[in-house]
Formats: sequence, structure tokens, C-alpha cells
Amino acid sequence: MNARLDSFSYDDDIVRKFLWATMIWGLVGFLVGLIIAIQLPVPGLNIAPLLTFGRLRPLHTNAVIFAFAGNAWFTGAYYSSQRLLKTRMWSDGLSKFHFWGWQAIIVAAALTLPLGITQSKEYAELEWPIDIAIAVVWVAFAINYFVTLTRRRERHIYVAIWFYIASIITVAILHIFNNLSVPAGAFKSYSIYAGVQDAFMQWWYGHNAVAFFLTTPFLGLMYYFMPKAADRPVFSYKLSILHFWTLVFLYIWAGPHHLHYTALPDWASTLGMLFSVMLWMPSWGGMVNGLLTLRGAWHKVADDPILKFFVVAVTAYGMSTFEGPMLSIKSVNALAHYTDWIIAHVHTGALGWNGFLTFGMVYWLAPRLFQTEMHSKGLVNLHFWLASFGILLYVVAIYSAGATQGLMWRAFDETGRLQYPDFVETVIRLMPMYWVRVAGGLLYISGMVVGIYNVYKTWAARPAAYEVLVVKAAPLSEAPADRHAPAVGGLWTRFASAQWHRKWEGMPLFFSVMTAVAVIVASLFEIIPTFLIKSNVPTIASVKPYAPLELAGRDIYQREGCFNCHSQMVRPLTYETERYGDYSKPGESVYDHPFLWGSRRIGPDLAREGGKYPDLWHVRHMYNPREVTQKSIMPAYPQLQINIIDFAVIQKHVDAMAMIGVPYGDAVNRAPEMAKAQAAQVAASIEAAGGPKGLGDKEIVALTAYLQRLGRDIKNASGTAQHSTPTIKPIAFNASGGSR
Amino acid sequence: MKLSDIMGAANLSVYAEVAMILFIAAFLVIVIAIFAPGRQKTYDAASRMPLDDEHPQTPR
Repeated sequence: MNARLDSFSYDDDIVRKFLWATMIWGLVGFLVGLIIAIQLPVPGLNIAPLLTFGRLRPLHTNAVIFAFAGNAWFTGAYYSSQRLLKTRMWSDGLSKFHFWGWQAIIVAAALTLPLGITQSKEYAELEWPIDIAIAVVWVAFAINYFVTLTRRRERHIYVAIWFYIASIITVAILHIFNNLSVPAGAFKSYSIYAGVQDAFMQWWYGHNAVAFFLTTPFLGLMYYFMPKAADRPVFSYKLSILHFWTLVFLYIWAGPHHLHYTALPDWASTLGMLFSVMLWMPSWGGMVNGLLTLRGAWHKVADDPILKFFVVAVTAYGMSTFEGPMLSIKSVNALAHYTDWIIAHVHTGALGWNGFLTFGMVYWLAPRLFQTEMHSKGLVNLHFWLASFGILLYVVAIYSAGATQGLMWRAFDETGRLQYPDFVETVIRLMPMYWVRVAGGLLYISGMVVGIYNVYKTWAARPAAYEVLVVKAAPLSEAPADRHAPAVGGLWTRFASAQWHRKWEGMPLFFSVMTAVAVIVASLFEIIPTFLIKSNVPTIASVKPYAPLELAGRDIYQREGCFNCHSQMVRPLTYETERYGDYSKPGESVYDHPFLWGSRRIGPDLAREGGKYPDLWHVRHMYNPREVTQKSIMPAYPQLQINIIDFAVIQKHVDAMAMIGVPYGDAVNRAPEMAKAQAAQVAASIEAAGGPKGLGDKEIVALTAYLQRLGRDIKNASGTAQHSTPTIKPIAFNASGGSR
Repeated sequence: MKLSDIMGAANLSVYAEVAMILFIAAFLVIVIAIFAPGRQKTYDAASRMPLDDEHPQTPR
């Protein structure tokens, strides 16, 4: 028995801070979601330039993932880690820095995304200065966390903390490698990867952001707060360890299932599919483990709304982790990809799993943190039912919207032609479902408002000064006692007694390194071949870099978030090639920094857009989409006819692209002149066709030039350019001779 | 000569299988370690950790 006992207390102030941030940002994120949900059936609600769907959708996803779920994880992690390690956080200062730094980043995101400042990679939209800030705050969090681990007074590290450690490490790796880019100004950068490689990197990131930001940290919370709320230990600790290691080994490989039937090499997509299917088993192991924790306590569930939240959360985890593997099977994916089905899948996870686990945790924490009774148990129940019905309405409507649109896209009539050749037909069919989604969202948000009110009233009834629990515990001895025990028995006995594993757990740093190795090695084996083995991306001689004006147009396309609704990736499926044209090749996007393949088609694919319509069509379409397509739900962009192209900045952008290896030739010296010449040419063609005069320096001209370029290079190569309309001259960009 | 030429010529595809075998082996070792007899007491202590905020369950 150790004679010396340390006295210490837990830092609950930081937990209270994160708890409030969770609730407030949650409401903001949900509200933005409601706004964009209404913008789809009511396109008039898009208020250009700041508040259009294309700019708000990334704000919604970022707010919900990083602000709501992020703060929820930190709330639970700061509360549970200190208690599981029997120590206070190493530095209150670093905890506070983490808190305020993270909130500042969220505010920066909320300001820059509506301004159109974006890297246009999903869930990694924030531009490079904010990315650096994220890295700094994350490192501070990690340092504080790892030093705290070394100061613990509990030998074994509880499994919840393993999940936190893996998440901290993996998120850092994902964030750094996906965001590598070359700045081309304070608020603009180009990804150092292009096309297939950028897509691969992005979905390695995107999928693992779901895995290591929305799944593993929340599993850590589940393994702590479920036992707390049920007042009994987890069903099987063995199963929880197995759950942990299987997820660490499998999750990192699964990313390519986001790119089935795209220009990604087939082997990578098959690999992604196999690992995704394998993920089903450990995920359900975890779900069963969570639910069985309530064994013998099910009578409590009827009475305790906190347990109700947890049960629905774990069930939603089970549903999403069954559906995810199913959707990653190629043939299922062919139907579901680019449709609302994926949106419904995500919301089962986010609203059900992340949301309900968070709410259960908040209601468990609030009376303990504010040291008073919960203001109203009835309101907690009300929140539960409002949110449950909200989810139900949301996902049922959006699942059926997804299946409907997917089936309409692939329907052929008896003469062998597309049954719904007009894309907009497949969109307006979804409108009733979109309204049901709005209703579901409203219910979910009302639940959140009730929750905030209830937590506020609880907080208002707090004591004048919080009581601080003083804990007495002995420090850990230098070495665990059994390390000095003589090794007895044969090799097997010694292995089975697992002293090595216990030592391992005793060394958080070593454990962290092993986790990192599992993640990094898996990533490298998956990524290196795509990057370095040439046969994976066959080059196409006729594919040339974008002309300076087209690049400026592409920047506008990114700024307005067009990729949120339009893909640029025709899959090699009959109903796709029939609708859009030749399928997309890997070599076509070698100069696409970043790739803009998209992940959802609320509007049609644009990979073969060039030459499909005259320039004037694009001008009128951007001014008011309903002028050319009566039932279009696209936002109007009238300001593109007013905004002046920033010719001066084009040179900087071309130079940045040249720096990452795009063969720009002469354009590195005279990009603005070349852009002006091409702009004059496009403006003349618009005017000649009877369109508005004097567009020569307006943004619409750059965007039109870009859209008219899409898919042209490959047509030139195969000599099948006969589809182009006579009013359009292909604008060839010649790397050595400049534009004409 | 670019790095991709070297990597392309090196014919590294066999390493994918090597990696898979290594991963499966590591995973099996972990599974055996978890389910090996004689650890139940540690697990029981560990699983009680969330329930007690004041007393270390695995001191020393």
C-alpha cells in the first residue's frame, strides 16, 4: 500500500463550457440545415450572393460535424477522461485554449463559407489559414491530453480513452494530408493533388472523418456514459476491445466506396467495398455490446428518458452501420450514389447516433455539472419524442426520394430510350418528399429548442458556488507490480497471461504509436499505388490545362459551390452514357486541382457540358434558371453579369497551378492578357447571338468559358466533336502559343 | 526520371498481399490475446472504472 495520497479535483468548468457550445452550435447547424432544406422546393429563398444553397450547404455540414458533434465529443471527453484517469487535465490553460480556439475556428467557418471562400473538398472546405489554425488548436489539445495520460492514477487505460486517442491521432493525420495545398492568395489555394489522386485523398479523408470524428469518439462516449446512466458495467469488456481494434484496422481502408464507378482504378474501389462489408460485423458487435449493457435494466428505460436517448442512438448506429456496408456494394451503390439515399443514410447517423447520444449525455451531465435537479423531466421526454418523430419523417421521406430519383435515372422505355430524358422531371418528382423533410427537420429543431430551454432553466437554478469534489488517490508507482513478477511457465502460459499486453496498455505513448502505425500503414498501402503506379491513371494527349479565363471561371464555380449539386463524373453505365455522353476517364482530370467530381446530383452532371448549349444559353440560365428550364430549382445568379472579373489575380492563380506541375507554358507570363482576349471573344459570341452587350469583363463570361470547356478535350481526341452547336467555336488553349 | 517511373518499374504489387497477411496476423494476435484465459479479473476491474469517480480500480 502506497502511503502517499494525492489530493486533486476535476476541472468541470471546461466541461460546462463545451456543453453550452454543443447546444448553441447544434441549434445553429440544424437551422442552416432547415434553411437549405426549404431552399430546394422554394428556389426563390436563395439570396445571392451570400445565402445560396451552394454556399450554405457546406456551412450546414461543417457546423453539424465540427461544431455540434465536435463540441459534444470534447464535452464528454473532458468529463470522462479526468474521471477514468483519476487526474485533472494537465493544463487548464491548454484546455481553455482548445475551447476558445475551436470556437474561433467555427466562427471563421461561419464567416468564410457564405463569402464563398472554400477549398471545395467536402468537409474540408475551410481555406488554408483556417486549416493551419485547426492544426495548432488540435496540437494543443493533443499535448494536453497525452501529458494528462502520463499523470494518471489508474494503471489500466479504459477502452473509451483508446477510442479518444485513436480519434485524436487519426484526425490529425487526415487533416494534414488532405489539406496540403499551394496558397494563391490569403483566401485561395489549390490542392497539390489532382483528379483521381485528389478524389482518392479526399474520400480517404471524408470517410475517415465520419469514422474518426463521428464514430470512434462517440463510441468512447457510449462506453463511458451508457454504463454511467444504466449504473452497471459494459456488457463485455472483451468485446469492446475487439470492437476497438477491428475498427482501427478496417475503417481506414473503406474510403474508396465513395467513388464506385468513377474514374478511380477498379482495384481500389473493390478494396474499399470489401473492407466496408467487413466493417459490418465489428460495428454490430459494438451495438450489441451497448444494448446488452442494459441487461437487467430494461425496466429503467421506460422510465428514464436518458436511457431512451441512448437506446435509440445505439440502434441508429446499428442501422447506419448495416446500411453503410450495404451501400458500399457496387451494384447497390450504382442505384444510390448521387441520390438522396446517401443524404438519408448520413442523417440516420448524424441525427440518430450522434444527436441522440449527445442529448442523452447532455441530460445526464446537466444536473451533475450544474449541481441541481434537472429542471423538467417532462421536457426531456418531450424532446425525445419530438426528435424521434423528426428523424422518422426525415429519413422515410428522403429514402424514398433517393430511391425514386435513382430508379427514374435508370428507367428505359419500351423503345430503349431513357424514360425521363429531361433531368428536371426527376427533380420535381421529389418535391413532396422535400416538404416532409422540412416538417421532420422542424420537429427535430423544436426538440433542440426545448432542450436548450430545459438546460438553461437547470443552469439558472445552480448554486451560488459550485461544490468541488476533492479526490484522494495514490500516484502510480514507477513500474507496475506484475512487471517484476518472475516469468513462470512455458511460452504459451506467458503469452496467454498477457503481461506484454498489460505493459502495453501501461504505456500510453507506445499504445498511441501502435494505433498510428496501423492507420498510417493501411493508408500508405492504399494510397501509394494510386499516386505512383502510372498505369492507374493513363494520360490522354489531348487533355490540356484550363486557359486562364477558364481557370477564373472554375474559381467562380468553386466559390458558388456548384459542385454541391452538380457532379462532373459520368459513370460507365448505359443509362449514364445515354443521358450525358461518353463516360469519364481518369486521364481527363489530371489538371483538376482540386477535383470537382461531386457526390450528389440535385442538378445534372456537367462532365460533358461543353458545347451542349450556346454561350447565350448559359448567360440566360445563370441570370434566371427558370427562364430556360421552367421547373428548375437552381438558384439565380444575376450578380455574375455585374461582377467584374479580377484579371489582376488570374496571374497569381495560374502561377500557383504552374507551381504544382500544371504545364502552363506561356500563360505564366501573360495570363491576364490571354484571359482578356478570350473574354472578349466569348462576349462577342454572346452579343452576336442577341444577348446582353458589354459582358467582356464580367464574371459570367469566365464561368461560361469554363462550362463550355468541360469535356471538350476528350471529344477533340476521339474526333467526335460533331455534337457541338454551330454557334460555339471550340476555344482551344495552346500551351505554347496562347489563346486566340 | 520521375519517381513514378521508378515505382512503376519496381513492380510492387506483391506488397499489397504482404500487407494483407501482416494485418491479418496482427489482428489474430490481438484476438488471441483478448480471449486468452486468465484475464477476466483485469477486465472485470477495468469495466468498473466508469462507475467510480473517486477510487482507482487498477492502482499500482
